[in-house]
Amino acid sequence: MSITDALWRFPSVQMAWRNLGRNRVRTALATLGIVIGVVAIASLGIAGVALQQQATANLGTLADEVTVTAGEDSTTEGVTEEQVEEIRSLAGDAAVVPKKSNRTTLTSRDGQEARVSVTALTEASALYDVSTGDNPDRLQSGALLTNSTATQLGLEIGDPVEYDGRLYRIRGLIESQSGFGGGGNELVLPLSALADQRYYDSVTIVAPNGREAQRIADAIEARFNEGDEEVLSVTSFASVQENIDAFLNTLNLALIGIGSISLVVASVAILNVMLMSTIERRGEIGVLRAVGIRRGEVLRMILAEAAFLGVIGGVVGAAVSFAVGLVVFQVLAGDPTLVFGWESIRYLLIGFGFAVFASVLSGLYPAWKAANDPPVEALRG
Amino acid sequence: MSVIELEGVVKRYQSGEEVIEALKGVDFHADRGEMVTVIGPSGSGKSTMLNMIGLLDTPTEGTVRLDGRDVTDFTEDQLTEERRSTIGFVFQAFHLLPMLTATENVELPSMWDTKRDRHDRAVDLLQRVGLGDRLSHTPSQLSGGQQQRVAIARALINEPEILLADEPTGNLDQDTGRTILEELTRLKEEENIAIVAVTHDEQFVEYTDRVVRLVDGEVQS
Repeated sequence: MSITDALWRFPSVQMAWRNLGRNRVRTALATLGIVIGVVAIASLGIAGVALQQQATANLGTLADEVTVTAGEDSTTEGVTEEQVEEIRSLAGDAAVVPKKSNRTTLTSRDGQEARVSVTALTEASALYDVSTGDNPDRLQSGALLTNSTATQLGLEIGDPVEYDGRLYRIRGLIESQSGFGGGGNELVLPLSALADQRYYDSVTIVAPNGREAQRIADAIEARFNEGDEEVLSVTSFASVQENIDAFLNTLNLALIGIGSISLVVASVAILNVMLMSTIERRGEIGVLRAVGIRRGEVLRMILAEAAFLGVIGGVVGAAVSFAVGLVVFQVLAGDPTLVFGWESIRYLLIGFGFAVFASVLSGLYPAWKAANDPPVEALRG
Repeated sequence: MSVIELEGVVKRYQSGEEVIEALKGVDFHADRGEMVTVIGPSGSGKSTMLNMIGLLDTPTEGTVRLDGRDVTDFTEDQLTEERRSTIGFVFQAFHLLPMLTATENVELPSMWDTKRDRHDRAVDLLQRVGLGDRLSHTPSQLSGGQQQRVAIARALINEPEILLADEPTGNLDQDTGRTILEELTRLKEEENIAIVAVTHDEQFVEYTDRVVRLVDGEVQS
């Protein structure tokens, strides 16, 4: 009885609670409909979020990067030092990594050969993840080598590799890059190794996020290229990510749309239940009206019944959806705790909100009908 | 001054193509402290008349006065307020709410009136109708006579001026009906209210101060 005590101050709510208790099976079934609706909306929403997070994780940091190379209309064979400085000023906090590249063949002591691309740069740690060894912020000496190449050639940290007649000691082994552009064997050297190349082959800018990457790409484009002229060629994967995001958003909306259908069905069921129960209680409502209960009070009582169905169904539905979310994140991302993120939690709130809204909406007509039934007619039965 | 007064009240219903005249110019009044019984065969217009007195329905022609005020053209919301404050109803079929206890049923008409707590008056009324030991019983745990006593207590909760009873003994055996009538007579004096009962039970005659006979929508004098 504690719930009814708490509701004592709200007579409509109290009466509604009692009325729902009169036919528990019917109340439970109507609530079950709402539960299914909420679970459909919230779990599909959460599944969408899980997909999106997974897709973003797979894309890696690639979308945050902008690559600049010399364009068709460039007067030089590469990107000049002055251009790099201007790019730095445009990039703000983002790391700007000018690179020179070449290719070479590495030979091991036992005669094994491997073709590798050579990248000369300074800011190694901004671009590469080192699995073992050292990952210098400024690479002034020594070399980094892809793990697979080192294994193939039987090289370890500290072993020397030869490029252009000079020896470089291997400081760290790097992972093959994830995403589109990665893979392949790579030898990373200090810029001094390719000192005879006057210009940079490319400049990679690593922004904190895709949006910032896109902004920097646009700024560089605007600064260097006028009209159709292409002095610098700017490549950014941010738009790729945007497209993927847009697709996943559409997918998510479609999933939620499908989920909403079940909530619509559930609210029709509530409409039916409320209509039936007000017709059954017609005489009783007539008595209420006869003894001086106002129309608005009858209306609120029946709306409160509908709202109760929505709230109970919404809470149970949200709880079930939460459990479903744990499973979905476990399966898709391998980490069930990700469900606690706001991105997915908000679908529980959305599902709950929709449940209450749909229930109250379904209660409006039965409530209005019961409240406006002339008492004389209602008493006659 | 009469608490309730009907003057030349005519009520016509449209029933398909036919127009039924249920009341054909009825004059009626009831005063505080008196019990008036309206007796008539079924179809005589008793219930229609009671609906007029109880402000549940409005007349086609004529005037209804409550405490001397013309309430004929009141809106439904105004009539609801008048019913709440001045009129108590007792029905043939008791019409108690099954999910509420006896006390809660008595409190029902005042339940939405959160400013005043009527709990004490509800308990007092139940004790006065002899149900002091049945306060927390639900209607299904009470006999017919007990249910009707709860209904009478409910009718009195808002301290009305008129108590309307529609065949209050109709669903009860003769002895129980008699105790209900005694109860009503006693409360009429204690609360100084007008009681208007509609019945075809001749047993009423010995308890009432005045009998009004209604035949074919007209009062027989």
